[in-house]
This record gives sequence, C-alpha cells and structure tokens, in this order.
Amino acid sequence: MSKILIQVNRPAYGYANSYQALDFAKAAVEQGHEIIKVFFYQDGVLSTSSLNSPASDEFHLTKAWADFGIANNVPLVNCVSAALRRGVLSEIEARENQQQHWNLTAPFVMGGLGELVTGIEQADRVISF
Amino acid sequence: MKTITIIFRHSPHGKANSREALDFALLSASFEQIVSVIFVDDGVLNLLPNQMPSKIGCRDFISTFKALSLYDIEDVFVCETSLVSMGLTTQDCFIDVEALSNEQIKQRLKKADEVLVY
Repeated sequence: MSKILIQVNRPAYGYANSYQALDFAKAAVEQGHEIIKVFFYQDGVLSTSSLNSPASDEFHLTKAWADFGIANNVPLVNCVSAALRRGVLSEIEARENQQQHWNLTAPFVMGGLGELVTGIEQADRVISF
Repeated sequence: MKTITIIFRHSPHGKANSREALDFALLSASFEQIVSVIFVDDGVLNLLPNQMPSKIGCRDFISTFKALSLYDIEDVFVCETSLVSMGLTTQDCFIDVEALSNEQIKQRLKKADEVLVY
C-alpha cells in the first residue's frame, strides 16, 4: 500500500483533469492506499472555489472534492499565492486584502508551496493532474 | 530529502506554467530537496535573454532564473533536440545550461524520485 500525494493543476470546469484526479483518489482509497494530501496548484485552485455553481443536474466537482476530503480525512490544500492571484480567498485573506467576500471554505484550506514539497517528501508516489 | 526533477515545457508568456514551475523549483530547493530542472519543447524559450514581460502586463520572472544557482540548483539542463529545432544553441541562453540528448534526458528522469511537469 502506498502513500500518495495528488497535485491538481486544472480548474473544476473546462478541463477533465480535476475530475480525473478525484476519480483516481477514490479508486486509490478503495484499494487501500492512503491519500496523504491533495494539493491544488496553478489553475487547480479554481477547483476549490465555493462559488463554483454548476446547474442542478450537473456534477458538482468542488462539493465532491469536499465530500471526499471529509469522508477520508484527506487534507485539501490550496497554494495560497496561486489562489490569491486567481481570486480564490479564504475569510482570512479577504480581511487582509480588504475584500468583502471570500470563496474558500472548509474543508479546503490555504497552505504554502512548502506543503507540496513536504508532502512530496512523505509520499511514496506523486501524481499530477 | 528527495531528488526532484522539474520539467519546463511551455513558453514563458501566454500562460503561467513556467513562472509557477520556477516558484516550485526554488521552493523545493529551499526545503533541502535535490532539484534539477530540464527545459524541453517551447520551455527552452525561457532561456532567451532580453525579454520584457512587463510589456504584456507580467512580472519579470525571467530574470529570477538567475537565482537557480543561488538556491544551489546546479543541474540545469536543456533538451538539445528542442534547442536545435528552434535554431538555438546553449550560447543563446542567458544562464549556464547543459544540453542533453533525448537518451541522456531519459537517464536523468529514471534517476529522479519525482518528476513534475509544468
């Protein structure tokens, strides 16, 4: 059984990468592997925005990621600088930047790129989508 | 500590891949990983001097490539095939890079614990 880190580099909508990453994560957990962290980098941070609002008959990828993280106790970490540049802010960054709104909520959290590196160090395998 | 190889495969402008790859490279090195970088395909264009990203509203991250050696990233390689296809040589690059054949790149990738492609 492996410890796996998943890096997501594409948004929730417009590319299939993030969906495929989630599918991979679910399959890995089912087979007994451990997902130690999902790290959202580049446009991947757009996969985590709570303002993503697909039509009611469409798959809600951001919610599915959140459900997966909670159900399997997997940290879902955004690169904070990649996120801020793309307008993804948690309540803390919204306050710091004098913004009235924020769109990152639990279980997603902000972290530094260092969290990706330390995750890579701990992981047996790193998979990027 | 892991051996991490970072591949730059996109042109420096028009998309943020190279800038974010560079951020990741420097960060990894500052976290004491053994980092090497390889420029392939359009990624070799990151190595050309006299670029002015501010003219297209971008931060000049290109000059930050000079910091690779400051972060002890000494293994800086470029794909010879990609260079030649653009009529370039390592002499055209503004930082010290070593050209590798496809076979040499393959060997490098085999040796890495992790390969991240940006």
